[in-house]
Amino acid sequence: MMLPRWLRRDDREVNLDRELSFHIEEKVAELVRSGVSEEDARRRVRLEFGAAEQVKEECRDVRPAYWAETFLRDIRYAWRNLRRNPGFAAVAIATLALGIGGLTAMFSAFDTILIRPLPYADPNRLVMIWDDLSKSDDRTKSDPAPAEWLEWRRLNTVFTDIASTQPTEATLSGDAAPEQVPARKATGNLWSVLGVKPLIGRVFSEEEDRNGARVAVISYGLWQRRYGGSPDVLGRKIDVNDTPYEVIGVMPHEFYFLPARDIDLWMPASFPAWMRTAFGWHDEQVVARLKTGVTREQAEQSMVALSLQLTAKAFPRPHQTIVTSLREDIAGKTQTALVVLLAASAALLLIACVNLANLLMSRGLARSRELAVRVALGAGRGRLAAQFLTESLVLAGLGALAGLALAMPAMRFLSRLVPETMGPVRLTLDWRVLAFSAASAIAAALAFGLAPALRGSWTGLQHGLREGGRGAAGARSYWFQHSLIVIETALAVMLLTSGGLLLETFRHLQNTDLGVRREKLLTFEIPLFRYKEFHRRDAFLTAVLEKIRAIPGVINAGATSQLPLKPNDLSATFYWIAGQPHESERNQVALIRLVTRDYFPTIGARLREGRFFEESDRHSDAQVAIVNETFANRNFAGRSAIGAQFKFGDTGDKGYWYRIVGVVKKIHEVGMEEAARPAVYLLHGQGNKQLMIPPGGIAVRTAVEPASIVSAIRQAIWSIDKNQPMWRVQTLKDIFAHQLTTPTESTALMGAFALLALLLASIGLYGVLSYAVTQRTSEIGVRIALGATSREILLTFSKRGLVLTVAGLAIGLGLSIVTSRFLSALLYGFRPDLIPTITVVSLILLSVALLACLGPARRASRVDPVIALRSE
Amino acid sequence: MTSPKCDLPQGTLDLLILKTVALGPVHGYAIAQRLQQISRDVVQVPGGSLYPALHRLENRKLLVAEWGQTETGRDAKFYRLTRRGRAHLEAGSASWQRLSETVGLILGMAEGGPR
Repeated sequence: MMLPRWLRRDDREVNLDRELSFHIEEKVAELVRSGVSEEDARRRVRLEFGAAEQVKEECRDVRPAYWAETFLRDIRYAWRNLRRNPGFAAVAIATLALGIGGLTAMFSAFDTILIRPLPYADPNRLVMIWDDLSKSDDRTKSDPAPAEWLEWRRLNTVFTDIASTQPTEATLSGDAAPEQVPARKATGNLWSVLGVKPLIGRVFSEEEDRNGARVAVISYGLWQRRYGGSPDVLGRKIDVNDTPYEVIGVMPHEFYFLPARDIDLWMPASFPAWMRTAFGWHDEQVVARLKTGVTREQAEQSMVALSLQLTAKAFPRPHQTIVTSLREDIAGKTQTALVVLLAASAALLLIACVNLANLLMSRGLARSRELAVRVALGAGRGRLAAQFLTESLVLAGLGALAGLALAMPAMRFLSRLVPETMGPVRLTLDWRVLAFSAASAIAAALAFGLAPALRGSWTGLQHGLREGGRGAAGARSYWFQHSLIVIETALAVMLLTSGGLLLETFRHLQNTDLGVRREKLLTFEIPLFRYKEFHRRDAFLTAVLEKIRAIPGVINAGATSQLPLKPNDLSATFYWIAGQPHESERNQVALIRLVTRDYFPTIGARLREGRFFEESDRHSDAQVAIVNETFANRNFAGRSAIGAQFKFGDTGDKGYWYRIVGVVKKIHEVGMEEAARPAVYLLHGQGNKQLMIPPGGIAVRTAVEPASIVSAIRQAIWSIDKNQPMWRVQTLKDIFAHQLTTPTESTALMGAFALLALLLASIGLYGVLSYAVTQRTSEIGVRIALGATSREILLTFSKRGLVLTVAGLAIGLGLSIVTSRFLSALLYGFRPDLIPTITVVSLILLSVALLACLGPARRASRVDPVIALRSE
Repeated sequence: MTSPKCDLPQGTLDLLILKTVALGPVHGYAIAQRLQQISRDVVQVPGGSLYPALHRLENRKLLVAEWGQTETGRDAKFYRLTRRGRAHLEAGSASWQRLSETVGLILGMAEGGPR
């Protein structure tokens, strides 16, 4: 009679059992029949048959895909094991969650900002071309001139094509309330250089650009906001600066291009004839596509040579050229911040792993009896190691899951790191991030699991069923665990020092002298395209400023062509100082600001020498100028600049001479990331009244909270011109805070990583010392019985902890000195003193370490010798 | 246990098992018994090698196993040769025959060679 076949997996084990025990029973029965006593028979059979478990294991091993079965079984076993030790599991998973979660979140930011392709065709071949007008060796990017663009495009050998964009102002009116929108002019080939297509409609062509066609491509945002996303916007005439333009296309939602993500309106550049030959008009941003096989470095070499040759011929000021990858210009400073923060989060995960390795090691020793039993039952060293590693993988897996839960809110915070120059991207948990998280979990499991697994399996084999876990293995594991503590302390010190340096830099930036009184200074911009003619503009501005000054709560108001803290303002103008040889005009560039008389008092600028503009200057024929300290120091080192004369632009007798009447302390005109540049301030209304950019930036000094008078100011402007929009209404404090976003965020993140590292390192120290005290309870008992005072015991254990800490501290400080060099890009040119940071870090670390030592050490000193000796 | 014991050359155990099973469905213990009897105690297969070998052959589909009852009424796992197993056995025995004849021939050469 046949029994049904046993196929199911669980039955296989039962069957294996039955088959083997049948064999044993038969053998015993046979021996008993031949006259051996049953007890003897059993013993002989067992000797002959070998360890039943081992035979079973060998039988299982020949099963196909048995490894998967083993793995599942190991996972179940690991799971049970963790549930039996919830405290250990919680600490381990929390540690891993912090490590993996931090790294995952940082990776998502890193990936989104630095790795993912930009939304252009073959984006890695796109580069930006800049002029380098600086005299010095450090490269300073400046905007090129339209004439340069034309020549480069004609003569270069390294690009398939070069396009250029230039700033413009745009007030939309007519179809709805007047609205000032960010706009840009572009050459007709911009679209083909970038390789982008509109969402609907078309983009303008080179021919339209040449012919000065009045056409516009609008952003998805503007389309939705102002035109309700209606497709019949195509072909509609819209009023841009009171001139009708035809909307011909809408760009897709994800399209953006330098200099900012929020540009709403793209119009043909249509350079006027004079601009096509003006090498002195530097306001372009030039993007180019590398030919296949040409690297950025080769392109730069070629362009430097071309520009030197070109400018030497066509233009008496040869200068260098810089070619940067588009990615670099879009990511800006964020790039360095992300690299540093990613490294910091990796260091944190490493600390977490070291910590866990230590915990597992202690636990492995505590489990040596369990292991011994398994060895006796036939488990091989490989099986034990695999089992240990599986436990690590289970831990890492759970840690990664918890880490993802932590990473999601962290990613919301990190999305603030996305630079302004980058499009509307969101940090999401997609498969790339998940895959990265899984990979880091596996790497972590190997990192913290391998050593304990090998050691554990070794201990298991060595110890057998011997009592206790001390002796040689104990001493060796102390040595190993102690090195782990030193390593994690060193890493924590490195992070703390980096955090300290960033914090110091951040405080330095916060306290930067902007040359302006930040408090209660409201700024906004008004487009002045309706007032092209100087006299009307002057009358309008004067009226507006007077109305604003009359508002209760307003102390003063002034206008400037460019408000301070303007990032990416790379505009430059050549100047020539009277009495200098003509040659030295080369590479002398300065920022130009056109201001009204009250501008300096309003923003709270301070004079170094001379005077501010006066009312009489407005009516005088003598052209006057105020320069900043940088300008004065560069050109008049060691002597007074007052009274000196200079002029601008393409030199010749038609240029205007300006006499310096004052030197102001540096006003931070450019972004916080950039070094101060020479700047020249001219009085609105003097000199060349045609060419200058209109002073549409208004600064208002208030006695009350600036926000409270915004509507009064709007009313004041509208009482003069009801179609006049005002935009970019911001206090200077807000602008400043906004500029410090990257340093603020990176300091906060680095600080968080450093504190977590400190926490983990002290937990690790505490754990190892606690374990040592537990292991050596009986030894302590003996020492106390022999007369050691509890103070001596306390000292012994604290000393051990402190020695480890000091060793870690020393190594960590050494590492910090190396890493602080990599940090320098994030320090904004500031050279913080390492000594105070190191002192503070050392003090914090030592006191935390002392606390971590004290617990276990006190426990040791209170050991009752009687109990301790009895427990043996 | 006075007879000398031999170590089985690699792969021969499989062949011996297949041959034993070829005689009719048989359980593991009986296979061990029979091998020992027929070889007059020269071949002793410890359970530690027999069962992994049986399971390996079963996994390679050279044997199939079914649970049945022995004459004494106990449940035991009986192994039976499959068609593949028989083919494997025949190929294996043939090559073993050739090998052993060749080895015998060489070892049987008159020492010193022809004079």
